[in-house]
Amino acid sequence: MSGGQQSYQLSEYLEKLPGTTFRKLYQQPSTAFAIFRRMLPPLAKVFVQALLYMPSPLLLAELDVWVRAEGKMQRDRALSILRSLHIIQITPPGKDKPQEMQLTTNFKNSLRLALEGGGSHNSFGVPSTLPVDPRIDIAHLDHYARKKWEDILHYVVNSVPAQGDGGGSISTAGPKTSVKELLLLGRLVELRRDTRAGVGITQAGFTFLLQEANAQVWTLLLLWLEAADRAKGEAKGAAAKTDSIDMLSFLFMLASLELGRAYNTDALTETRRNMLPHLVDFGLILVPREDTRQYFPTRLATTLTSSASSLRSVSSGFSAAAANNPGDASSLGTTPETSAASKGSIIIETNYRLYAYTSSPLQIAVLALFTQLNMRFAGMATGRLTRDSIRRAIGFGITADQIISYLASHAHDQMVRAAAATGRPVLPPTVVDQIRLWQLENERMRTSAGFLFKDFDSLEEYVSLSSYADEIGVLVWRNDKKRMFYAIKMEQLRDYLKSRKKAE
Amino acid sequence: MPPKRKAAPGQGNASKAGRASAMSTPGPATPRSLDSSIMSDGDEDFDEDVTEAQKEREALLSREADDFVNKFTFGGKRLQGQNDELGGGGRRYDAATAFFRKRDFSHLPLKPDHQNRPLWIDPDSCTVVLERFNPLAEQATDFLITIAEPKSRPTFLHEYALTPHSLYAAVSVGLRPRDIINTLERFLKTSLPDVVRMKIEDHTKSFGKVKLVLKHNKYFVESVDAEVLQTLLKDKVIGSLRVHGSGDITTSYAPTMGGLVIPGTQNAAGVHQANLRQAEKKPGEGGDASNEADLFTALNEEDDDDDKEAVHAFEISDANVETVQKRCLDIGFPILEEYDFRNDDVNPNLEIDLRPNTQIRPYQEKSLSKMFGNGRAKSGIIVLPCGAGKTLVGITAACTIKKGVIVLCTSSMSVVQWRQEFLKWSNINPDDVAIFTAESKQKFSGSTGIIVTTYSMVTNSRERSHDSKKMMDFLRGREWGLMLLDEVHVVPAEMFRRVISSIKSHSKLGLTATLLREDDKISHLNFLIGPKLYEANWMELSQQGHIAKVQCAEVWCPMPTEFYDEYLRANARMKRTLYAMNPRKFQACQYLINYHEARGDKIIVFSDELYSLKQYALKLKKVFIYGGTSQAERMQVLENFQHNPEVNTLFLSKIGDTSLDLPEATCLIQISSHFGSRRQEAQRLGRILRAKRRNDEGFNAFFYSLVSKDTQEMYYSSKRQAFLVDQGYAFKVITQLANIEKTPDLAFATPLESRELLQRTLVDNERGAEDDVETDDLFGKPGGRGSGGGRGGRRGGNGVRRTAGMLSELAGGQDMAYIEQNKAANKALKGKGKKGAGGDGQSKFFKGIQREKDKSRGRG
Repeated sequence: MSGGQQSYQLSEYLEKLPGTTFRKLYQQPSTAFAIFRRMLPPLAKVFVQALLYMPSPLLLAELDVWVRAEGKMQRDRALSILRSLHIIQITPPGKDKPQEMQLTTNFKNSLRLALEGGGSHNSFGVPSTLPVDPRIDIAHLDHYARKKWEDILHYVVNSVPAQGDGGGSISTAGPKTSVKELLLLGRLVELRRDTRAGVGITQAGFTFLLQEANAQVWTLLLLWLEAADRAKGEAKGAAAKTDSIDMLSFLFMLASLELGRAYNTDALTETRRNMLPHLVDFGLILVPREDTRQYFPTRLATTLTSSASSLRSVSSGFSAAAANNPGDASSLGTTPETSAASKGSIIIETNYRLYAYTSSPLQIAVLALFTQLNMRFAGMATGRLTRDSIRRAIGFGITADQIISYLASHAHDQMVRAAAATGRPVLPPTVVDQIRLWQLENERMRTSAGFLFKDFDSLEEYVSLSSYADEIGVLVWRNDKKRMFYAIKMEQLRDYLKSRKKAE
Repeated sequence: MPPKRKAAPGQGNASKAGRASAMSTPGPATPRSLDSSIMSDGDEDFDEDVTEAQKEREALLSREADDFVNKFTFGGKRLQGQNDELGGGGRRYDAATAFFRKRDFSHLPLKPDHQNRPLWIDPDSCTVVLERFNPLAEQATDFLITIAEPKSRPTFLHEYALTPHSLYAAVSVGLRPRDIINTLERFLKTSLPDVVRMKIEDHTKSFGKVKLVLKHNKYFVESVDAEVLQTLLKDKVIGSLRVHGSGDITTSYAPTMGGLVIPGTQNAAGVHQANLRQAEKKPGEGGDASNEADLFTALNEEDDDDDKEAVHAFEISDANVETVQKRCLDIGFPILEEYDFRNDDVNPNLEIDLRPNTQIRPYQEKSLSKMFGNGRAKSGIIVLPCGAGKTLVGITAACTIKKGVIVLCTSSMSVVQWRQEFLKWSNINPDDVAIFTAESKQKFSGSTGIIVTTYSMVTNSRERSHDSKKMMDFLRGREWGLMLLDEVHVVPAEMFRRVISSIKSHSKLGLTATLLREDDKISHLNFLIGPKLYEANWMELSQQGHIAKVQCAEVWCPMPTEFYDEYLRANARMKRTLYAMNPRKFQACQYLINYHEARGDKIIVFSDELYSLKQYALKLKKVFIYGGTSQAERMQVLENFQHNPEVNTLFLSKIGDTSLDLPEATCLIQISSHFGSRRQEAQRLGRILRAKRRNDEGFNAFFYSLVSKDTQEMYYSSKRQAFLVDQGYAFKVITQLANIEKTPDLAFATPLESRELLQRTLVDNERGAEDDVETDDLFGKPGGRGSGGGRGGRRGGNGVRRTAGMLSELAGGQDMAYIEQNKAANKALKGKGKKGAGGDGQSKFFKGIQREKDKSRGRG
């Protein structure tokens, strides 16, 4: 995602952690396994697999034999990731000894354990032995998770200024207050008076919306971890550290649990038990009301560390859940095309009309952020991009590029096919240009950093220095009356002034 | 027409109608100021020679028609009960409903096989959305173009609107309400909402039920529905006008297309080959002549099943035709005119046929089959883009009817063109095609023939010369089989009324490229001429290579600060001059001309602003034509543009917007234009659609619109493009022309020059714009009027004018010099032309200019 720098990524978070934290994290086989699965590029995985059962450290030079010369960049990248995640150790370069690399002890042991099984670490959760409510099946869990998560997304999306009777007022109660606070804290939304919900989406919030569901979940979880860290850091200090490690490894553990199975809450540490209510709010787990000794991980949790192939976006998110949801309009058309259309659903025409093959209120709400919506049929919404609608979106801090990349990544099959047939870009270039131009319209101000020169001793000094500035092309503005001028650079002017003073 | 639809239901119609009609009849007493007409198209003044009494009568008619048109908007007719049923209240389905206000129709359940059906319908506004990529799209498109108004036709999804007019048109080409409803039901993804069904039934109930037929030279009011006829007879006005004695109500059988063959079609070819021409005389035989898409074949076949439908008719006298027509309009049974030309024995047949090698294109055939769908000639309008062969459609219609034809055009030049086209495509005897203009007043030799004339010739009622008067009597005294109305969109409704009342014709065919007017008068045409029979899809025609592919671009030219300062302070008129004279725009124009001339393009530059037209042409040393250019000079300039490889750029004022056939032109640059006129934009684009080179591999014509940034022009520009954009054209915005600063001899490159330009512009224009008023006619008005001064006389200031000016002007320092130089480029051509003939008549001054020009050309 182009605006990705605004959102919070798991890797960024992990890379900031100190080595000791990693050592503790890697005590858990589930964590080591999850990191291995999710965080490593393919080449790094190959390295880890090779090193895992190697009795002695590997000479770094030998690695060159494994990797072709043209792959050197990928090799270096893989190595740097492995090092930053404290998975490998490389001896410092010395004169007498060649560089060697090996897996860090904890990581090696945990990963071996995870692969071989055995041990009594309970790292992969303890299944509940209590009788399970038969109503809680996978479909139920999906529906539950989907509702929870969409409530959160709706809260972010619906913070659009109320226009007429549009926007705002959702039928559901929305997410819990704690989640709302978290969103505010993470600046995904900000307080605004002109909206019905009292909050407005921010650029980071829009970036958040445009992410795949998986990345969204992590963004929120990391915000939460940080908030928890800060809160506890103020209170207890050192003890907080272990807590946050435990929290993180719990998340990794959740990812390794089995969907549809009940797990025992008694087997959890206190820290982890305290996390449960929050995770319920996010929709990651379900705790049956009647029996709080059980918890069920939802699809949101079990796919936390899935690889890219199972990624899901806002529009396609929960397609599985949607298909099982009898009340949903999109399930009416049970042909395979429905699910295909949910991947790419938007058609944008050269006359700025936009047609979205969707019945998801969430996706429509996202579209409403930058589109003037017009009509809606079952499975189809129409609207058009207008100068006003784009400008309003830009007012929220959403960038033209974000809109364009959203449209591009959700382009309808027909558009993709037509573009491929004619060898032209998927989105009509005129529309793309126009969206950018609408953004540029608001960016007329040019700023130049520089220095203001004033309070000259004499008119002569002012004239000579300002005209010198003009000559060397650094003068931006001058006012002879006030004897002030503004220049973008000052070094040469300073030297000039010095030499002038000296001459006097 | 759609904009009317927005009128608040039930209320405000009367006031609106009043206002509109006031606008529609500009007389001397109510000169329209520039401001008030700012968004209107500024209708050309055709009605200069009309008496006050006639005007009043027309104003009244116009008002009545307005009222009538308003009555036919959906909004006004909607029942209260339906409104509630539509869920006008806060019905909510889910969280997203709120975004659509009242236009969330997701409660309409989809049919199980909705994937295979291409249409959605919005029951409220009757907007139909069509999936172009659906397997049934072709058939659905054919159907929709018949019953609905195309709104948006880009690549993937099209939008159409069902309007009373479009339904009227559908009914008039022979579709029955039952057919419309059933076919819609077949194509819709949801089942047809009852509201829509009711609307269709409601509106088709009265449409097309009553026909006016000229049979054996007597007018008959005809209907398939005896009850309707009884209703009419009981009406006190119509009832009394019936001709008694000829048997009260006659009953006969409905005609079928039978053996009628439109010449030039595949069928016609087949008929010729098999030598089965006698089949024409036996209705019901000769095979199915309909080359339509499956759908229509199906419908026609259906027709055949319950064939021999009885029709009932009563006779009315010639004198009362208009009264009856009007009365029928009033009581909600608009009369459809049909001409059973095959059974017309009174009017002599005209010996005319298309030349054997002439093949008409599929869309032309389709449009004509709408006109001759049931073997009779229906009156109506056919809309084809410029360059798509409207003339040939008209000629083919004439060849089908084979009776006397009168052709009305907008200018004397197109009169000549029409005659040539007739001779080119058909085998008509040249003596049978006569021309009636100010210059020539011919009559055809035989008993019948073709007369080509202009609207103004037929309508002007005063100061007629003896010759024209005789000619008019000739025209009035006859009965015409077909009246061809060229460029119907430019002519005000009042004018048609006058034409139609003075010349008797059995059927009328209107031809136009853009049935668009910023004022709403188009809807009147539906009742005056007939419904829109066919509207072609621009994009489709261009993909099939019938018209040129065009790259459209809008070039944004920033205004230099000093210009912008002045712009902010200036009055509306000066503002327009200033944004046209923007030196950056000038540079962009220069750059584009250089670029395209180097590519071998022929360029037309359009400017509505006369001052800037002259300045640009002069500075760039190019030829130009505007209202004040004499006829001879125009011809010379045009000829040079067409054939002289040295003359590749032509500057045109708005007189060149229509009816100018220059297939050489491949690039068009627009530097100033008429406010937000969508029609002008489309017409101008039309100038390059017939480009000769259009079928070359990878050929593109270019259309540039130069706009000054941050001025009103930007706003107007987006308005203007609306029509073309909805046709699927994409305007690329260019903010920066690459390497423009490297253009040799770039004009106004320094701030000093640019400031001089500003000063000069301000001074020159302070005197007011004397010659900015033009006629819309490239080739001048016939009949005693000076072509340039046009409206000036009516404004009362043409003769003597007091102006403030500078001494230097009087001394020739400023303006005088311009006038001389203005002619420079054009005169240079003249000089060249004469050189061959003898080389005299050229003054020393112009020789000097010529030398200078040659020199600069050598440099370039």
